Amino acid sequence: MFLKKDCRNIDRHSRLLRQKNPCCFIIPEYVNKKIVEKGTKKQKQQAWKNLILTEQLRGRRLVTGLMSSMFSVSNRLDRTIFDAEDSESLPGTIVRREGGKAKGGKTVTEAYDYSGSTYNFFRDIFDRNSIDTRGMKLDSTVHYGEDYNNAFWNGTQMVYGDGDGEIFQRFTKSIDVIGHELTHGVTQYEAALEYEGQAGALNESFSDVFGSLVKQFSLKQKVEKADWLIGKGLFTKKVKGIALRSMKEPGTAYNDPTIGKDPQPGHMKDYVDTTSDNGGVHINSGIPNRAFYLTATDLGGFAWEKAGRIWYIALTERLRERSNFQQAANSTYEVASTLFGKGSREQKAVRNAWEKVGIKVKSLK
Amino acid sequence: MRIRVERTGGLAGIQVSNEIDADGLPSGLLQTARKIMEDKKPFSLKSAPKGSADHYIYKISVLDGDSQTVIECNQFNLGDDLRSLVRYVEKNSKRRKAN
Repeated sequence: MFLKKDCRNIDRHSRLLRQKNPCCFIIPEYVNKKIVEKGTKKQKQQAWKNLILTEQLRGRRLVTGLMSSMFSVSNRLDRTIFDAEDSESLPGTIVRREGGKAKGGKTVTEAYDYSGSTYNFFRDIFDRNSIDTRGMKLDSTVHYGEDYNNAFWNGTQMVYGDGDGEIFQRFTKSIDVIGHELTHGVTQYEAALEYEGQAGALNESFSDVFGSLVKQFSLKQKVEKADWLIGKGLFTKKVKGIALRSMKEPGTAYNDPTIGKDPQPGHMKDYVDTTSDNGGVHINSGIPNRAFYLTATDLGGFAWEKAGRIWYIALTERLRERSNFQQAANSTYEVASTLFGKGSREQKAVRNAWEKVGIKVKSLK
Repeated sequence: MRIRVERTGGLAGIQVSNEIDADGLPSGLLQTARKIMEDKKPFSLKSAPKGSADHYIYKISVLDGDSQTVIECNQFNLGDDLRSLVRYVEKNSKRRKAN
């Protein structure tokens, strides 16, 4: 059984395996996946071993507990919405199950619909089966807390407050917020970026990136039509601000006497060194956010097709728990080379974007 | 004695600071504040569930003359007593300030 710690030796291990077993992949991946679903216990065990081996040779990371979950793969969307009824107890009372009638008001409907949109985005664009690639159920709790001005991912589910009506409206209102929270789950099962410092800011940035892409995909927007805002419409009319964050122009989303000014930097020279907010994970995410925005707008078209794909592969196959901005820049640059060719327009766009936010990419080869 | 609650994190990442005078605190909450002061063990309880994100982080300070005790924790390990104290301070402070 391979353990997650072995992932660091995958490159050397995969080279050795290829030398010893040049023909071990006669059975295609889709056949192995079918056996996992339909085979006998012994057949499933062997098919999982084959899949783990092929993933290693592609340089992909293992997820611990793989073998323990091998009998619980589902290929369908499975959403449950809970109502915490203004308490802070989770998960709350079930108010809507997958396929159930639309009821419970706007908040329940938004949590249901937008988590479905996020699932569909990852499935249609990246062939990803839910948060954990194995059809993990999508559980959301709404009406959490009293006047609760927040939404969060607790490691197993999404949770949404209704806002206090003074600063914030309900947090299910923005599809990109729901995409953002679900992407924290994806990150948890992939790079598992630590929620502190630059790794934490990358964690936040990937959630903003894919949250924004979920919104753009739902609206079929090309880069020039996208607003590149996170949480647009969450503030009440009393607040001087249009959104929580701007990927296009970090630091410009709000400036209000009560909540202050948007503190996000858009360049490394303005990096905020702080102990608050786990080392400023929601602050310094502005830098990689802008790098993505610049890459996507340089390439044009639908942002998920090229820039989104590069960022997804970096998240799922390259980055590690303590990766920093420099490593993210290097990884996206290398992924662009792998996908589109060394010296390609796409690779140049990635390099130029990171350079504009103050990070010079360093080729890994 | 004064109690200050500084909150960071959350999806919006907005920092908020609230402070009240301990006079007028309900007796249960006054007891919680006194216990923090008497224990005089500033400690940090920042660990959060694996993979969690966008949760609140709290810094609770109890100030009494020249003495100060500070607790750092997150919303998952706040505990009932501290949660009640935090909620009371947030609702009843006269001034909400963003840092």
